[in-house]
Amino acid sequence: MSAELEVAVAGFAAWNPRAAERPQPTILPPNERRRAPDTVAIALQVAQAACANANREPAQLPMVFASTYGDLAITDYMCSTLASAPTTLSPTRFHNSVHNAAAGYWSIATGCRQPYCALGAGAYTFANGLFTAALQACADGTDVLYVAYDSEARGVQTRIAHSHGMLGLALVLTRAGGPCTLRLGILEQQATPQTAGDDANAMADCLPLLVALERRADDRLRLPLGPDSVLQVQVRPDSGRGLRKD
Amino acid sequence: MLPLAITAYSVVCATGYGHAALLAALRDRRGPLRPNDFTAQALPTWIGRVPDLECADWDLPAPLTAFRCRNNRLAWAGLNTDGFTDAVAAAVQRYGARRVALVMGTSTAAIDATEAFYRHLGDPQGGPPHLRQPQLHTPHSIGDFVQRALGLGGPCFTIATACSSSAKVFCQAERLLRMGLCDAVVVGGVDSLCNSVLYGFGSLELLSPDPCRPFAVDRRGLNIGEAAAFVLLERGGRSDLALLGYGESSDAHHMSAPHPEGLGARLAIEQALLRAGRAAQDIQYINLHGTATPKNDAVEAQVVASLFPASTRASSTKGWTGHTLGAAGSLEAIITFLALRSDLVPGTLNTTQLAAECGPQVRLENVTARIRCALSNSFGFGGSNCVLLFGREAA
Amino acid sequence: MPATQTTAETELAELIIAAVNLEGVRPADIDPEAPLFGAGLGLDSIDALEIALEVSRRYGLQLRSDDADNRRIFASLRSLAGYIQQHSKQPGAQAGQALSPPQ
Repeated sequence: MSAELEVAVAGFAAWNPRAAERPQPTILPPNERRRAPDTVAIALQVAQAACANANREPAQLPMVFASTYGDLAITDYMCSTLASAPTTLSPTRFHNSVHNAAAGYWSIATGCRQPYCALGAGAYTFANGLFTAALQACADGTDVLYVAYDSEARGVQTRIAHSHGMLGLALVLTRAGGPCTLRLGILEQQATPQTAGDDANAMADCLPLLVALERRADDRLRLPLGPDSVLQVQVRPDSGRGLRKD
Repeated sequence: MLPLAITAYSVVCATGYGHAALLAALRDRRGPLRPNDFTAQALPTWIGRVPDLECADWDLPAPLTAFRCRNNRLAWAGLNTDGFTDAVAAAVQRYGARRVALVMGTSTAAIDATEAFYRHLGDPQGGPPHLRQPQLHTPHSIGDFVQRALGLGGPCFTIATACSSSAKVFCQAERLLRMGLCDAVVVGGVDSLCNSVLYGFGSLELLSPDPCRPFAVDRRGLNIGEAAAFVLLERGGRSDLALLGYGESSDAHHMSAPHPEGLGARLAIEQALLRAGRAAQDIQYINLHGTATPKNDAVEAQVVASLFPASTRASSTKGWTGHTLGAAGSLEAIITFLALRSDLVPGTLNTTQLAAECGPQVRLENVTARIRCALSNSFGFGGSNCVLLFGREAA
Repeated sequence: MPATQTTAETELAELIIAAVNLEGVRPADIDPEAPLFGAGLGLDSIDALEIALEVSRRYGLQLRSDDADNRRIFASLRSLAGYIQQHSKQPGAQAGQALSPPQ
């Protein structure tokens, strides 16, 4: 195994994929709120809750946002409109189509001038985002907010994109110690992404970590990181410290 | 931070194939922008289109044909220019494929393939089968494709933060190398012309109906361009060129308009100088973001005027290349390398009269001058800013 | 107490509410003489583009952001409705009825 990264989870939050309605991103100013697409609402909801649970001020945290597809409903709108009446494209939906929309809205909502990264890695997105966030925490010695989310493919999109329901998970990672330690290392090994399941959300690879954090028990996860590598995550809760979550 | 060696790079953009063609165009002040001949419906603007990209030379070879689309074709052209693939193969030989990481930047990725898939929805046959490949329809299509094309086995992901995407790849590369997670990193940016960005920027009324005029008093907006730009960074590599620092920040202001006082841009510049242990007067050239939109240029000119001495030369090279969006960070990093290595300090094309906000730093004419330290600015939608600081060792 | 809307203004108010997703705002809530941008509804420059796009789709009328008269045209619901009424190229009953002159 190559070099390891060790971080603690100071707080986390997930968005319940069974809930029917999208959350209301009350953290956004009214103008941005009425423009925010569903993925932004979910990402901001979990980010806000994770910061609260970690007792961290959002404006102080650099961020890593990860999504396999970005907002599929907006991609569907964009491509449908471009195929039929391209000059009627909505400027609002175009500016929401950037992959960093959630990160941009979050920084506006929280007044955060810390840098953010927005990334994708196909079927390996969750592990790559976690790895990147942990790397930044370790390399720069800062707390980092990690937000992973994906939306549902509907209609035409189901033929080219595989994702069901909505799912979001946010973690505040810290080098300063916390209620649950994660030790990350890269292993040469093939693994099947959770996202391969027929009714899975594209971010379903986050679920084993969510379960481990909720159970507050030692665990060792192997999250698919690439075609022939996995991110090994050793989860070690500190029994003396509580880990709040919503 | 410790300087990080830049050991190879390659570029394809509107000026053609390779850095020699780009340097020659800069030197001769030849602007290759042309009236929009890309969109099916009339859209009155100019574009920076890569010449002859449709030529069969750039057809993807057999194991990669499932990835075919304009964006990956452009990436393939970039990989097979300036000897880049050979340089990466040598790095793989030295360190092993698993120790070479890949961090790509893009804004369009292969959205041209998704657009084509939707255009074929009415076809009884369902359109070309390769358009149904799921791996084409995510932002990571570019990282996935380049990883396979180069045979790399290290960490691999794609950054998509709009127009700062392929500047931010350098920051991630530095962290990966500093923490010992790999020995070399291929970074780059690939963005290709597509309807999404052409009509999208059109909907925001940000497209110039004529060749873009960065920092001009009469500027009317940007021209969309396309490019593939790749850079190889090695820990302990030997080169006269190095990444010396970088700064990243967020505006926290608006999704599609810069902070009016350029607070985020200023933070990113200050952080890049701090990381490199340099002062503003050490910077001899700045490759500006300079999109030629009214707002970007007004804010950026004010920030540069307030932070740098009159001796710092600054210019936008988008009059040569167009705004290549997600590829701009890496493309303009390479233009900065060319300035450091050739002593040609590019000016600004198409502009005749500078806007009032410009300080003495913003230059229109090319000059010949030996420069050792230079910045490249990238500012994107969503208020994402990234500033890179490069240097050249005295020979 | 807001001034009374004409039929054309009510229709335009509906268009604006839908175009920029003003949740919880009813057409009758928009004072035809109050500023549309900045204070009041709090609309901004990207909303202006969105409204201009919808106006062009509905009334066949191009409104460009570089029009020097935009500040006046977009000043209020009444001024925008009046401008559309004067410049609409869309003939026919629907637009004609919708755009009866302000009372």
